[in-house]
Amino acid sequence: MSSYNMVKQEFIKKWITTLHILDCSVEHPLNVTERKNAIKLSSDIAMAAARSSSTVWSRALISRSGNKTANKPMARRVLKKARNRMKNRCLTLRRNGNFTAKSGVRRRTELLKRLVPGGELIENKDYLIRETLDYIVYLRAQVDVMRTVAAVDSVTGNLTNDNN
Amino acid sequence: MSNRRSSRQSSSAPRISDDQMIDLVTKLRQILPEIGQRRRSDKVSASKVLQETCNYIRSLNREVDNLSERLSQLLESVDEDSPEAAVIRSLLM
Repeated sequence: MSSYNMVKQEFIKKWITTLHILDCSVEHPLNVTERKNAIKLSSDIAMAAARSSSTVWSRALISRSGNKTANKPMARRVLKKARNRMKNRCLTLRRNGNFTAKSGVRRRTELLKRLVPGGELIENKDYLIRETLDYIVYLRAQVDVMRTVAAVDSVTGNLTNDNN
Repeated sequence: MSNRRSSRQSSSAPRISDDQMIDLVTKLRQILPEIGQRRRSDKVSASKVLQETCNYIRSLNREVDNLSERLSQLLESVDEDSPEAAVIRSLLM
């Protein structure tokens, strides 16, 4: 099995878990927006949990998700599980004030740092690039799996039509 | 090649080294076929590669958002006995 397929497998396993926990914790019925946020939250946490604590982006994503849902007790259960597995590492965030990058590379690097979770904490360029590549692989896996699940609709739609 | 780049950038700004850039481009080429087709040599500018990477991450995030929306609507319209519900149930169990 290719390593990419293993990434997807790991993501699916974690996503099933996070969906279950969220499903048990929320008060039904949910409106469309609430459900969408729950799906997205569970998906992001699953993606980070699939990577475990060995990357900055996965740890940052988990803590970022925690900040977003501080008021929702349901998310805490999911996050507690994920957080317990994550090691605590202090990374100091250094701010450069209002420095605007002049050269294209510098400016775009700053943009990239903001896109990758925890990227702003990474000073070393080499490290940032490795984190970026890792993050992209998992992001792609997340998209591929969600796309497959969403395609269930069109597949079974055809089945229903055939039976009729 | 590196001379041109160093003359354009200030020495105080941390640069991505050529090796890192080549490594990044190689790996990105496997993921983004569009970059690879445009230029074969390692003269692809660092700025361009970073831009493509940022655009790619943004588009992936947008897609996750859209898919979450679609899945939410899909689950909304699923009634208990439909074949969709059976498939989803088997997926999640």
